[in-house]
Amino acid sequence: MLDRVTDSLERYMDLLSLRQKVVASNIANADTPGFKTQDLDFQSEFASALSGSHPQASEVSGLPVKNDGNNVSLDREARLLAENAMRFNLASGLIKEQIRMVKEAIQEGKSS
Amino acid sequence: MSLFSVLSVSASGMAAQRTRAELLVQNIANSETTRTAEGGPYRRKDAIFSTEHVSSAFASEFDAQLNGSETGVKVSGISVDNTEPERRYMPGHPDADADGYVAMPRVNPAEDMVDLMGASRSYQANVSAMSAIKDMIQHSIDLLK
Repeated sequence: MLDRVTDSLERYMDLLSLRQKVVASNIANADTPGFKTQDLDFQSEFASALSGSHPQASEVSGLPVKNDGNNVSLDREARLLAENAMRFNLASGLIKEQIRMVKEAIQEGKSS
Repeated sequence: MSLFSVLSVSASGMAAQRTRAELLVQNIANSETTRTAEGGPYRRKDAIFSTEHVSSAFASEFDAQLNGSETGVKVSGISVDNTEPERRYMPGHPDADADGYVAMPRVNPAEDMVDLMGASRSYQANVSAMSAIKDMIQHSIDLLK
């Protein structure tokens, strides 16, 4: 929208909200028999999101499986939930700052 | 891809856990009930969860296909315990048979109480997820200020 940094931030927020969606669905299915934890490979997805491809969620390996075949760990999801929310706040704060700078330039540095 | 559709994922989790809690409370309340509309003692009920594709009101089918993985949860059925009722020796009871035994529901209140705690914790987890997402939406809206 404004420059390349804002574009990247925008993608970053898109990806964070998608990951938050995956985390929310893991939490909703914490008691569903046979449900397997889903997640995004954040690093590689961010690299490919910058080039415009669509991210894909995949199953997470290495988590202990319960008797009913479900392997959702609420602690892991709670951590991701908090982490995503904080990253999102940081990114939105940065974008807000960019917008403020443009606004200031438009107003010739007069206001605020 | 919209954050608003994530809210419906958490909402589906809350609804499912509430149904589960309702059934558990019903089990505990009826742990001594010997007469029911279907006849015989009360039979223990339990919710069966399964994954479900959720979409927000405005999302088109194409959109849902494109974004995928919006997996909510739903109660796909209610299982009724069909095992033989417990026979307890209570000769003075109005529902006692010729030998003085009464068919009582096979409900273990301790087990149901523990399950109820699990349901309540899972409900809280969904509420936390929803409030985290709500904060994210609020921060996006604040970009306009």
